[in-house]
Parts: sequence; C-alpha cells; structure tokens
Amino acid sequence: MSKKQVLARIWQIILVLLGISFITFALMMLAPGDPVRQMIAGNQDIMVTQAEIDAVRHELGLDKPFIFQYLSWLGNILQGDLGFSYMRKKPVFDVLMDHLPATLILAMASSVFMIIFAVPLGIFSAVHCNGPIDYFIRGLTFIGVSMPNFWMGLMLLWIFGLKLGILPIVGGRVGFDILILPMTTLGVVMAAKYTRQVRATVLEELSQDYVVGARARGMSESYILWREVLPNAMLPLITLFGLSLGNLLGGASVVEMVFSWPGLGLTVVQSITYRDFQLVQGIVLWIALMYMVINLVVDLSYNYLDPRLRKAGK
Amino acid sequence: MKKIVKTTAAAAMIGLLALAVAGCGGGVDKKQAAKDTFKFGMTNFDDSLEPTENYFGWSVMRYGLGECLSKFDKQMKTVPCLAESWKVSDDKLTWTFKIRDNVVYSNGNKVTGEAAKKSIERTFAKSARAKAIFEYESITSDGQNVIIKTKVPVATLPGMLGDPLFIIIDTSVTDRDYAKQGPICTGPYMVKSYSKEKTLMEANPHYWGGAVPFKNLELNSINDTTTRAMALQSGEIDAAVNIAFGDLQLFQDKKKFHISEIGSLRDVLARINVREGGPLSDLRVRQALVSSLDRETYANVLLKGTFIAGGPYLPPSVDYGFDEIKKLDKNTYNVERAKKLLEEAGWKDINGDGILDKDGQNLELDFVYYSGRAELPLYAEATQSDAGKVGFKINLKNVDYNTIDGMGQRGEYDLMISNVLTMQAGDPEVFMNMYTRTNIDSSNPQNGGGYSNPKYDALGDQLIKEFDYAKRRELVIEMEKIAIEDIPNFVFGYPKTNMVSNLSITGAEILPCDYYWITTDIKPAGAK
Repeated sequence: MSKKQVLARIWQIILVLLGISFITFALMMLAPGDPVRQMIAGNQDIMVTQAEIDAVRHELGLDKPFIFQYLSWLGNILQGDLGFSYMRKKPVFDVLMDHLPATLILAMASSVFMIIFAVPLGIFSAVHCNGPIDYFIRGLTFIGVSMPNFWMGLMLLWIFGLKLGILPIVGGRVGFDILILPMTTLGVVMAAKYTRQVRATVLEELSQDYVVGARARGMSESYILWREVLPNAMLPLITLFGLSLGNLLGGASVVEMVFSWPGLGLTVVQSITYRDFQLVQGIVLWIALMYMVINLVVDLSYNYLDPRLRKAGK
Repeated sequence: MKKIVKTTAAAAMIGLLALAVAGCGGGVDKKQAAKDTFKFGMTNFDDSLEPTENYFGWSVMRYGLGECLSKFDKQMKTVPCLAESWKVSDDKLTWTFKIRDNVVYSNGNKVTGEAAKKSIERTFAKSARAKAIFEYESITSDGQNVIIKTKVPVATLPGMLGDPLFIIIDTSVTDRDYAKQGPICTGPYMVKSYSKEKTLMEANPHYWGGAVPFKNLELNSINDTTTRAMALQSGEIDAAVNIAFGDLQLFQDKKKFHISEIGSLRDVLARINVREGGPLSDLRVRQALVSSLDRETYANVLLKGTFIAGGPYLPPSVDYGFDEIKKLDKNTYNVERAKKLLEEAGWKDINGDGILDKDGQNLELDFVYYSGRAELPLYAEATQSDAGKVGFKINLKNVDYNTIDGMGQRGEYDLMISNVLTMQAGDPEVFMNMYTRTNIDSSNPQNGGGYSNPKYDALGDQLIKEFDYAKRRELVIEMEKIAIEDIPNFVFGYPKTNMVSNLSITGAEILPCDYYWITTDIKPAGAK
C-alpha cells in the first residue's frame, strides 16, 4: 500500500464516520416514542410527568431542530468533545474510558485463547484430513460454534464456580481470576470458528502446485508446512481476525452480563435502551473507528506478509 | 511436523492450566471466620451516587447510605425517620418538620433544621424532578425545625419528602465527588469505594439509630438473574434481591435459605377503551371479558406463583382495603356468567364462526402489549385463548415499549396492558387519577380510554384536598369500589418481589417499597 493509498483510506474513514454518525443520530430521533421520556425512565415503567419531560428536553437542547442538534454535536466532536451522557451524568469520553480497559483486556485475552487453540488444531486437522482425529476436531468445532455464548457462560459458571468452586461467580471487577471464564466463553466460540477456517485454508494451500514442487524437491513436510504453507494461509485469516477483533472491541454484551464483566458491551445496550443519544453516538463512533483502523492495519500488514503486494505498492 | 504440533498443543494446555491455577489462587474465600462483612447481590444500572440526578437517589437509599425526613413502613404508610414528627398549619400551607436531636451525619456533623433546609434547597436547585413533585414558597429553619411553606396545599408532603430524591445530605462538604464517593449522609453505612459493578461500604461510626450490624458491606451488581442465583447458592453472597421465579425453587431448603417474598407496589393493569362505538363501551361486555379470564390460574400456574391474581386497583401489600374490595368483585372467573352477559348485551354467533357478532360486526378487540416485561405477552396470549372461549376475537398487537405512552393517550386500543407503579411518595393519589379521571381538554391525557364518572372525579377532587390519612384512605377505597364495579380498567395481577438470604444472616426481609434493601434489621445470625 502506497502512502497515497493510506491517505485515501484515512479520508475514507473520516467520510464513513461522518455518514455513520449522521445515520445513527437520525435513527435515534426517528425511533418510535418520545426519546426524552425514554431517557428518564428507560424501560422501568416509572411515571414521568410532562413537566419533567419538558425540562429535560430543554436542558438537552432536544427542542431545537434536528439538523441544528446534529451540527452542534458535530461541532463539539471536532473540538474533541464527545458529549455528555444523560444516563450516566458524566462525559461520554469518561464513560468510554471507564469501560474500555476491561473490554480491551477481554478482547485480547479471548483472541490469544483463540489463537492458542485454533491454529494448532486447525493445522493438525488439515494435516490429518479425513482421519479420525480430523473428524473428532471437526466435531468439537461444530459443537463450539453451535453453542450460544450465554449458555456456555452459564455452564462454565455452574461447573467451575458452583460445583467445583475453583473460580469466582461474582465478577464486577477486572481481575485475572474473574477473566478466565468470560475469556474461555468467547475464546471457545472463536476458536471453534477459526479452527475450521485454518483447516480449510491450510488444506487449500497444501493442494497448491508449489507444495507438490517442494515435496518433489525433497523438502521435509514440517519445512513445507511452517515455512511455505502457513505464511500463505495466514493472509485470509488475518482479515477475518481483524473483523472479529473489531467486533470484540465493541463489547460482548451477553458475556459481560453473565459474568458481570465491567466492559463496554452492557453500556452499549443500556445506552440504546435509554436513548442516551450522545453516549450511543460516542460508542458507535468508537466501534466504527475500531473496525476501520483495524482493517487498515490488516491491509497494511499485507505489505509485510505478502511480498507481491509490497512490489505492487512500489 | 508431529513434534511441532505436539509441542504447540502441550504449550497451549500448560497455558490453560496456568490460567486455571491462577484462578484458583485468586481464591473464592467462602468461609468467613467472623461475620463482619455482608455480601449482597443485586441489579444495578446506575453509575453515580448523586441523589439529585436521574433516579440515582434510589441506590443511595438502597445501599443504606442515605435517609430522608420520612420513610415508608411495611404497609406504605409514611412514618418518621430523620424527622421525629411533623405538623401542618391551619391554612394547610406551612409544614413544620422537627428533626431528631440525636441525628448526625457520618462525619459527625449534627443534622439541624438549617442543615436539612440546605439539603432540600440543593435538591430543588439541581433537580427538575423536585419541582414536578411539589413547589415551595419558602423554606426556613428554627433550631431543629425545618419549615416548608408550599404554594398550594400539598396533602402528601411528608410522603413526598420520603422520596430518595430528598435524601438529607451534608451540604457543607464541598470537596467531595458525590457521583463517585457518594454524599455525606446519615444512614448506617458509608461509602468506602464505589463503582457501578461493585460498591464497598463500611459502618457509619456516628449512626444515630444504634449499633450497625456489619463492619463492612459488599454490594455486587449481578444483573444476570441466573448468575445471581448461583452466587447465592455458592455462598459468595449472603443475600440477593429479585431472584428470578424460575430459580426460586433452588432456595426452598429452609435449613439453608430464607425466602422473603411480598407483593410489590405494581399492577399489571389493562387499560380499556370505553369510548362510544367500541364494544367495550357496554359495561356488560367489560364484565363478560373480565369474567372470562382465569386470573388465579395465570398467577399461580402460568407465572408460577410469582404474581398475585388481580382484583382491586391497589395491591394487597398496601393498606387500602384489598380484602374488602376483592369481596365486591363480581367479575371473578366465571365462563357461564360471561356468556350470559354477552347474550344479554345482544352478542350472538349468527354466522357460526365461533366469534360473536352484533349488527354485522364481530366482537373483535385489539389488545396492545409490549414484550419488555416477560409477563405481558403471557397475559395477552392467555386473554386471547380464554376470551376466545366465550366468543371474543382478540387481535394481539405487540408494539415497541416507547410507543405505549402515545398510543395510550390517543386511545389507539381496545385493551392495553402495562406494568405500572401504583404508589408515588407512599400515596396512590397520582395513580388513582392517572388512567381513570375524566380527561377534559387534555387535563388528564393518560386517560385515553375515555372513561368518565362524575362520582369518581368528585372523590378524586376531595382526595387532592384531604390531609387526614384515615379520610384519604376512605376516599381511595371508595374510588376503588367504583372502579371494580364500573371496570374502566382492570388488574391482571400484582407482581411479587423477593429477597433470598442464606442462614448466616437474619432479618433480610423485602419491603413493598423498593427504596429499602440494606437496613440495620439485617444482622449476622445469632446477633441480637
């Protein structure tokens, strides 16, 4: 990727963020019901008086025209102010900073978990294609991808927390002991998916002519696999991994709920429920930014991983 | 190749084992040598302890941190708390609250009339909701008295000041982040550290109400109900609030757990559109509809005993003559009666399609509900089935919760179901009027169903002006009697609420008013 292409991508990111922010803003305003009533009461069936609704509407400037509200919000964003969360009564930036560390830790830990299991199992399965071990691993991955997150989380809590009593059930903080079960829950599902992906990609590469040629030249199987096949197989996997990581960095609400993990996921759901529009905007921008930056990084990494692209870039 | 794969796999297993061992090291210390810490599991979505913002004051009170001048007892009567007594002037405009002489904040500062005055003034300065509750002309103090003069007579002012919005805080403390550290209050516990997910409290050494049972309090926000139940089962927490009805059976062993369950202050209320032209404008059709519904079975079987079958407007947890009014209810489950009433009203199945009709119109009702609360779709479907047996055709309309309010005001329903709070500030006045009082020129927009009864309105007018509790109670009961007779709306059921504890503690009892969770009644087992 040339510098010009990178700059073009950055411009693209800015334009996409603008579009996303406008659409999100419009959707929040167009959704049925009174957003102000929802901000005050959420789904709690609290009796809210009209006077209270009017006071909050005025306080938040929601009695002004839509476009004025959007431009005002945008102007603040350009000055580095993400806005103020009505629900949390604190700046959106602070809310993000409160929850991001936990989200980052969980995302990274579950990704590492996934890599540790998915790569060796996928390779092993591909190398032993259609053998009993391959069938066994594929069976496991099938179970893994079929299990809903919340169910697996509750089962892990039941086994390791309640029955064996070796891991805590009560979360609510970031700690290594607390991290293990949510990490495993997310990691197992991801590992199941990626094991199948690694297997398919490695199998495809193993059938390529250059592998046949390498074997004909007498190279060892392990050399072919690790030095020839894997680098080629990694390219599509990195793209997929980038998308998954972007997804995880937006929070894993179900898993966070089950394990009381103080990440961003629950905040996302809650902010939508309460129509806390500035917080929703802030979080949506963050998620969109993460997706695009990670994908840009993934694309840039191709330059280093694939010499053909490097040459083309030059 | 095999060697490399094996090595990688072995490394992965070692890594996992290390994580597990580390987890064990992190340790769940289930055995507590001395019961000086009470661990509580609850739901919480708030992120601040500033009582004047949103409904955060509820947390401040629930955690045993803050108290008000008044509070609500087990029957929701307003009783003294920080104020030992109160009186109102003859013109009903000036209230004098006498603060107990021994009340101090957790920092040792005395709560005087002036301190209480400043706290109430701060609430008004910071919260728009306060002005919506009542408006004052002036607040003054005189020694231990705080004197509030209102613009118009406010019969329920003592109860209003029991709302967590009016928690009395030490306003002289200015170097404190109320949101994160909590205000300085008068409750039995004070904040050690606070986060939305976990709050640590410690005993208030200056607590005016006597000895504080626990040195430490750990409040765990466990929003998933199954996880909360597991935490209680494992002993990681000593008590939890609102265990899901499906999980309650796990705690039936009385040698291990204590279940405290009570009807809440909520109704699952069905609003009825009684406007002319609609089938429900005829009282006999309304009576037939309610008679066709087996509300006892819904509560006991469909909802597994987590609801009490509906009847009077106000739930049995409050002292408004529930049993007396229930006896007057003619519309208990009686299919034959329902059929007879419909026949009397002229509805017959002329075309033999199973749906009654009259003047060429089917007896069809639009039943609007939302799925945000699990019981509502169940009630809606049960109605469709049971009312169908007597000849109604019920069209279920599942709508977004956010649209309920507007649809209710515009009367875009025949039946509309929602879960509503019946008591505000310990008093049912707002609820009694909200959906039933005549709506003249948008004076009562929530009554979109068009019901109007001058007698009911007159009682409502008297209620607004009446200051005497006993008389107010009688007025409310009279209004309820009209409602059970006229059926402007009806109650499907009253949800129960619960607190479950293990036997390491005593006194963990749920109260109808969900402002109070942590109280000094909760003590270590064996403590006096």
